[in-house]
Amino acid sequence: MIRRLLVGITAGAIALAPAAVVPQAQAADPVVFTVGMLGDVDSLNPFTGILAEAYEIYQLQYATLMQPSSTDFTPAPGLAESWEESADGKTWTYTLRPDLVWSDGTPLTANDVVYTFNRILEGRYEKTNYGNYLRNVTSVTATDDRTVVVGVSAPSPIMERLAVYILPEHIWSAIDGKAVKSFANEPEGGQPLVGSGPFLVAERQDGQFIRLVANDTYYAGRPKVDELIFRIYNNPDALGQALKKGEVDFAEGLTADVFSTLEGVEGITTYAGAYSGFNELAFNMGAALSDGTPIGDGNPHIQDLAVRQAISHAIDRNQLVDKVLNGYGTPGSTIIPPLYSTLHVDPGTQNYDPALANQILDDAGYAMGPDGIRIGPDGVPMSYRFFVRSDSATSVKSGEYIKSYLAEIGIEANVKPVTEDALYEIIGRGEFDMFEWGWVVEPDPDYQLSTFTCAKRSYKDGDTIYADLSDSFYCNPEYDALYEAQSIETDQAARADIVKQMQQMIYDDVAYVVLYYYDNLEAYRSDRFTGFVGQPEGSGSLLFQYGTYSYANVQPVGADTGDATASPGATASPGATDQGNASGETASTSGGVSTGLIIGLVVAVIVIILLVVLLLRSRRSASADSRE
Amino acid sequence: MSSVATQRRKAAFARFWAAYRHDRAGMAGLIILVFFILVAILAPILIPDDALDVTKADGERFDSPSLGYPLGTDDSGRSMLLLLAYGTRISLTVGLAATLVAMIIGTAVGIMAGHFRGPGSHVLVGVTDWFLVIPFLPLAIVLATVLGPSTLNLIIVIGITSWAGTARLIRAQTMSIEGRPYMERSKALGAGNWHQMTRHVLPNVFPLVLANTTLTVAIVILSETTLSFLGLGDPLAPSWGAILDRAFSSGAVSRGAWWFVLPPGICVVLVVLAFTLVGRAMERILDPRGTTA
Amino acid sequence: MSLLQDVAVGEPDPIRAPRVSGSVLRTVGSKVLRAVITLGFVVVFNFFLFRMLPGDPIGLYTRGRNQDAEQLAELRRELDKPILEQFLTYIRNPFDPGIDSTRFSRPVWEMIGERIWPTFLLLGTAIILASIIGIWIGIRAGWKPGGRFDKISTGTTLTLYSMPEFWLGMMLLIVFSVGAFGIPGMFPVGGIVTPGVDTSTPAGWLNVLWHMVLPCTTLTLIYLADYSLVMRASLIDERKQEYLTLARAKGLRDVMVRQKHAVPNALLPTITLIFLSLGFVVTGAITVETVFSWPGLGLLTYEALRGPDIPLLQAIFLLFSIAVIGANLIAELLYVVIDPRVRS
Repeated sequence: MIRRLLVGITAGAIALAPAAVVPQAQAADPVVFTVGMLGDVDSLNPFTGILAEAYEIYQLQYATLMQPSSTDFTPAPGLAESWEESADGKTWTYTLRPDLVWSDGTPLTANDVVYTFNRILEGRYEKTNYGNYLRNVTSVTATDDRTVVVGVSAPSPIMERLAVYILPEHIWSAIDGKAVKSFANEPEGGQPLVGSGPFLVAERQDGQFIRLVANDTYYAGRPKVDELIFRIYNNPDALGQALKKGEVDFAEGLTADVFSTLEGVEGITTYAGAYSGFNELAFNMGAALSDGTPIGDGNPHIQDLAVRQAISHAIDRNQLVDKVLNGYGTPGSTIIPPLYSTLHVDPGTQNYDPALANQILDDAGYAMGPDGIRIGPDGVPMSYRFFVRSDSATSVKSGEYIKSYLAEIGIEANVKPVTEDALYEIIGRGEFDMFEWGWVVEPDPDYQLSTFTCAKRSYKDGDTIYADLSDSFYCNPEYDALYEAQSIETDQAARADIVKQMQQMIYDDVAYVVLYYYDNLEAYRSDRFTGFVGQPEGSGSLLFQYGTYSYANVQPVGADTGDATASPGATASPGATDQGNASGETASTSGGVSTGLIIGLVVAVIVIILLVVLLLRSRRSASADSRE
Repeated sequence: MSSVATQRRKAAFARFWAAYRHDRAGMAGLIILVFFILVAILAPILIPDDALDVTKADGERFDSPSLGYPLGTDDSGRSMLLLLAYGTRISLTVGLAATLVAMIIGTAVGIMAGHFRGPGSHVLVGVTDWFLVIPFLPLAIVLATVLGPSTLNLIIVIGITSWAGTARLIRAQTMSIEGRPYMERSKALGAGNWHQMTRHVLPNVFPLVLANTTLTVAIVILSETTLSFLGLGDPLAPSWGAILDRAFSSGAVSRGAWWFVLPPGICVVLVVLAFTLVGRAMERILDPRGTTA
Repeated sequence: MSLLQDVAVGEPDPIRAPRVSGSVLRTVGSKVLRAVITLGFVVVFNFFLFRMLPGDPIGLYTRGRNQDAEQLAELRRELDKPILEQFLTYIRNPFDPGIDSTRFSRPVWEMIGERIWPTFLLLGTAIILASIIGIWIGIRAGWKPGGRFDKISTGTTLTLYSMPEFWLGMMLLIVFSVGAFGIPGMFPVGGIVTPGVDTSTPAGWLNVLWHMVLPCTTLTLIYLADYSLVMRASLIDERKQEYLTLARAKGLRDVMVRQKHAVPNALLPTITLIFLSLGFVVTGAITVETVFSWPGLGLLTYEALRGPDIPLLQAIFLLFSIAVIGANLIAELLYVVIDPRVRS
């Protein structure tokens, strides 16, 4: 068993006394698994937070009815052990597991589910983060303690993928629709938050750490570690160093550079897990409002399929992966990443082939001009605005490479770096030819697919044009029909077929050149912990998944024998009471950095005052002397 | 009629040069400057066409200095030496262009504020004061954010945040010139404001403007480096600041790739130091009593 | 006008201040008034500059959330009020931008409140160290201008003065933290404290101190260049004053003259400069905190640039301006209070 206290000692130039946050050891030392990450949680209130870090905490704290499986993202049981769609597709019936209990001992019943769903349906603020999941829902009722019946207006495959955190009614009913906006949902009085997930938030210090304790009442069984701590680092280098020193057991979301410095370090395993994100080169396919009114000033060349095909053939996706991603990714093809093996289709025809690209352009009537830039059939040179995101080093780098690839086939790309917010506006108004950006694709493909429908093009309110989800302005009635078909297809296999057709369509029409799928870079102390479960197993991310598989399974190396030998005298297991004490003790340390800093300030002020006094004194005596 | 003036100015320059030649620090600065200006001018000739093309770079990424790459390579495998030479061109261009903007605004505002009396002058002085008091970098950041990142915008932003010191100096000079007898005479003869300012005031403050310019370039180049480092310049134009930004964001520090960080910084220090030395030497010669310091 | 203007950049009043204390009060009053007017301009400028930005703040604010079009439209209507009405709301309380940080979705002043202390700690320490060392160097160099110490120190300080502070920071990081040129990395690569270490204990204090070594060294070196150059120049000026010749003639030893007469008088412009240089100090904070991931206002500014996070930038700009204008005012008042022409 590992004692975090020992690990807390810094092996540096200055030997420090043990000063870890973790309280003095209890009768049986708790097993603590520490994760270092690069961003803080924005809010512990699941109706407020929007950052990935926050959602990681929510899913640990509050279980959902179902979650994507760790093997292939198909819906797997959560709080609900089974669910059923009625023959007409208008009713869904969910059956909860038997004997579910909240962490404070209150039974978790169908009423909690009804309460949560209604809160989202009826609340304005509550709708923000979860409204989309329940958009077809017309009624929610509990027929008994374990059965929830949900009425929907149309067949809805999303009803099998409800990533809605079920909240304890007996706690949340005290927080009304107004109070919820400013409700922090932080643990008070040393008591962990009441929840139903594998871990419960017990303590948080903004910008520093979040401490969670194992939930004894978790439906899949108590996790194998007692405490889970997320420490926040504001610098990837510092996170890498912390892993090397053993201050953290797991480093999440590393940069490629730090990741490569950890490769081959003894006791550390680096893991480049496939991620659900891709980056693309997007085209202005003819910007228009959702009603078809043309907007913007995109170059008409780009609307020519031959031009887009040529560009796709001119881009060396392998080199981009090697040089821009340091090799941590895979070349891109369609808009659904291969991570979703049941949905992804491998079209594989637009290979890197500059000669073919040149040939396509020659055939389409874009003749090479004297200065190496081709002239279109309309007499206009092939010179296009290409926006990249100045906020992102990889985006700027991709821009440099793509500019050079296009120059090879006689196309001039005027790379324009702008901030993401500015680019969002530019795209919405259709004032671009090409840009580089990316998406993170959810297990349910609906949202991603919707970004290519006619209806999601920009819209007008008064005189102002607002961006919607579409950023390529792709509009194809055939595609829209398929989109409608998949959105009401509740048979998973049949839906996957439609989704594949749609991917192929976008790929063949080259609305995007998907540049690459990037990896999520993680590293952990394999000399201490084991049992991580990737999603999908073997190739996907270990943490920050759509689910809590690794957290529920991670255990100390050699735990089978270790537990017994490490604490031979201890008979009592570290149960709920121990943890209660633990939280009580650590709560007192929450003075934080500011206490120290105030003392520092006082010292600084005193020094300044001393300086001024000295100055005044010497000045007086000086002038006295000089008057003599 | 102008030949007399030309000759007088030639003689003045000869006197200035004779004094300058003996200023060791000033000469050292001048030599450094000449070197960098030559590099900037010759950069397109010295650098092979494809050398800075990322897709054709043949070096290893983050390679330490070697015979083939005397200063190592960057994060795309390009030669740092060539990148630096090209950066000289951009950094100096931005530095000089922004200084020009600052000088034009500063001189115009300074002369007008010193020449005219009344509420207009007070407003100009007030605006100058305001720009002097407002912290430079936050103001520049705010302006650059509103304008968006590009080399031209960078020049504009630095120009309009760097003129106030010059304006203040020029105003003081103008006011002292205004009191001189020939100005009284000119006014008595009915010369217009424009004539007075361009024919009498400007030529007299010009030498100081020049010395001040040199000092301003030094500060402007530092500002350019800082703003580019913060990503407010064009990230595709590899000025020294942009190279440092790239080194920082590509993890050169954690790799210990000192060759990616050290040379651009040394270039900045040398050029800023050189401009400072030249500017101080000019001030010493043009204004030996230090009335403007 | 000229009097105030000159004082604004920290030079001694060219006009002898009158002795009557009522006039001192009047001078103080006019300086305070002036600072308030300058601040007023900052507030107005701050408002209109950011309103010039094209675009759809609500769209940006809600991007990535599952908000429907109706909700968006309602939020937008709140922002579509006439510009004058918006301005009046803003002017009533500039510290309440009404909209949260777009990047962190938190009230901006709450975030600034958290980040201000680390900046205070870092800058405060660096300024104090730089003043002490810079003034000492300036005194030694300025007392024997042209001497060996002067040549070496002026060369060094001029070089430091020409350095981008963040570059110095990056080099120190590479050499002393990552390790290069045979020197092992011994300092942390960034942050204020090892996450998990309790800062209310002495060990936690040492930990913070250990993290502070490199960023503080960077800033101290850059600031002391400025301070020592000014101290040197004003000491050289002071040496020319007649009373020093007189003091020497009276047979006072050189050291006595230096410590009793010249140094105290030359200190005044330097101390004033330390207050006046806050604008420049802020610049250092932004880039150096970025390089060392020091979680203060400087790093927050850098983070706000990604996006950009307009409400946050606006608040930071206001705060920095207040700080600098405030420091200027203190410097001016310091003059009124301790200037010998008023006192003796």
